[in-house]
Amino acid sequence: MTEKRYKKLKCAEDLTRLVERHYAKARYFRFGQPLAWVTSGAPVELLRAMDVFPVYPENYGALCGARGEAVALCQAAEAQGYSGDLCSYARSSLGMMSQGKKAPLGGLPRPNLLVCCNNICGTVLKWYEAASRFYDTPLFVLDTPFIHDQLTEYSIQYVAAQLQELVRFVQKHTGRRLNQNKLKEIISYSNQATALWQEIRELCRARPSPLNAPDLFVNMAPIVVLRSTKEAVGFYRQLHAEVQERVQRGIGAIPQERYRLVWDNIAIWYRLYRFYSYFVDRGACFVADTYTGGWAMQLQAGEPFECLARTYTSVFLNQSLEYRGQLLLDLIQHFSADGFVMHSNRSCKPYSLGQYDVMRQVSQRCRVPGVIIEADMCDSRVYSEEQVKTRIQAFMETLDAAG
Amino acid sequence: MYFLGVDIGSLTVKVVLLGGDGKILASGVNRAGYRGQEAAGALVSTILADQGIPSTEIAYTVATGYGRVTFVGTGGTCAPLTPVMASEEISEISCQARGVYHLFPGARTIIDIGGQDSKAIRLAASGRVVDFAMNDKCAAGTGRFLEVMAQALEVDIQDLGDLSLRGTNKVNISSTCTVFAESETISHLARGADRADIAAGLHEAIASRVLGMASRVGLEPQVVLTGGVAMNRGVAKALEAKCGQAIVIPPHPQITGALGAALLARERWERSSSGHWPGD
Repeated sequence: MTEKRYKKLKCAEDLTRLVERHYAKARYFRFGQPLAWVTSGAPVELLRAMDVFPVYPENYGALCGARGEAVALCQAAEAQGYSGDLCSYARSSLGMMSQGKKAPLGGLPRPNLLVCCNNICGTVLKWYEAASRFYDTPLFVLDTPFIHDQLTEYSIQYVAAQLQELVRFVQKHTGRRLNQNKLKEIISYSNQATALWQEIRELCRARPSPLNAPDLFVNMAPIVVLRSTKEAVGFYRQLHAEVQERVQRGIGAIPQERYRLVWDNIAIWYRLYRFYSYFVDRGACFVADTYTGGWAMQLQAGEPFECLARTYTSVFLNQSLEYRGQLLLDLIQHFSADGFVMHSNRSCKPYSLGQYDVMRQVSQRCRVPGVIIEADMCDSRVYSEEQVKTRIQAFMETLDAAG
Repeated sequence: MYFLGVDIGSLTVKVVLLGGDGKILASGVNRAGYRGQEAAGALVSTILADQGIPSTEIAYTVATGYGRVTFVGTGGTCAPLTPVMASEEISEISCQARGVYHLFPGARTIIDIGGQDSKAIRLAASGRVVDFAMNDKCAAGTGRFLEVMAQALEVDIQDLGDLSLRGTNKVNISSTCTVFAESETISHLARGADRADIAAGLHEAIASRVLGMASRVGLEPQVVLTGGVAMNRGVAKALEAKCGQAIVIPPHPQITGALGAALLARERWERSSSGHWPGD
């Protein structure tokens, strides 16, 4: 049933192969290349330019969530004493550590380094400290000051200085040196991939939209785990061509687009297709979202350390609620949306806290209705199907009445 | 020609029958039991039999409430009636809004407290739903909470509200969880606290929980309280005291959802037969 509501992209298999190859390489084909666990907002360009192979425990959590295997990992972490209120990505990875190779997908390979950046949340600090103790592995913490209003020059200098320190840290523990030419090349790949990803998202301004939320969520994997690689650029070129073809031929992501919606927060991974099918049945397509756009930021030209500092400090989760409200409002207007749906994600406090304020701010300024759905990105135990369905139905009726 | 609104909740089922002119001809409330749909079907049959109306005269039926999805009125034990099928299912948010707005065109905020869920709905002057909020993953502050507490205090559920109004020295109930609040109640009783004072504390706990949710949509007057819990005077008083606003309660607060469903049934039927919305 759900397959019919979801129009599969031709490059779906290429995506699977790409991600599988990434994990296989991480485990078996690094040939001595050091491996770092990194947070989703870490400046990986520097690491790649120093020949360090990055893997993302957050992506591992999302994969386990989508495969319905995250709850067992969360329970394993809870059995060790971690609170059920802790982020389910953190619990998934802490649970995986204790299970070794028996964990889903064989677990993540043991890290040689840990690089943690607090631009996405504060949980990562204690999570990576726990990993550092567990594997007895050196940890680097990159501190990006929160942007309450404007990004200040001294914040940029503060972060840039830490990036210099990161280089020394990696050199000390791996013996690898920073290759400036390679850094330039890698930044260029990053920019090509993010530009393509941004263009793909832009194509969803078309009516009907060529992509729906599940497409955006599934296809964001390379922009996170393989950003700054040639492979990511190649994949997004292919995806761009396919999405453009959909637009040219007037093919929509869903059978009949009556409403255009914007999504806020991380996906509900274990219900990715079924959840959105409730909207598809009522002719609603998610044409944009606040999450997958987080990785569409270009690295500006100039001194590389300052550019990296500027870009990675400015990620949307490191900015004020006013900024986040404006971001949502801009998406609604830019993509001509009729409404928005916010996932109050029990796991992700920095993303979910303040959603009621953002919602009020947006509804007052553009008179577009929104609804908040309570769930969790990976822990399906807090997902209540009947309550979710009632909220979706009531929201869609509100849209019907407004239209 | 007649229209039916059927509201299948977690504790009770409610049915409203409208005439072709939109007037309420009959309504009924029954326990849902573990087969809400069957209870609703039986209630429909009883009402139709009382009114002497054959089910073939029902032009349109709207089902709402948690049991809405699978409602197929079976006619229960009243064999002569043919099954009454729901023509459409509509969420309880839209149905409550429609029912309350019909009774109180000045209503801008609805607080509905049912058996297992509570919700707050904000209406525009046109009666359209502007915003709504529902209770989270917990049934504290709902009818079930009061039932459990009535049991702990050994009071009839109908008398719990009045008992609370007699409390002079409110006991503070801090827990927001139904089960823990019950343990708290039991320990207060063991310490010799007055039942009325405990009841007053429980009602205040409900009021603060419900208002916490309702303030997400704002508490614009006129505020209307519906649902089975609205029949408890103690809850309404506690809400009024906490929010500093008068709260209006319909004469039959349990059936406003079913009434809205019946009104929407009539509108849907008119739209489908005339090709436009009445009042468009």
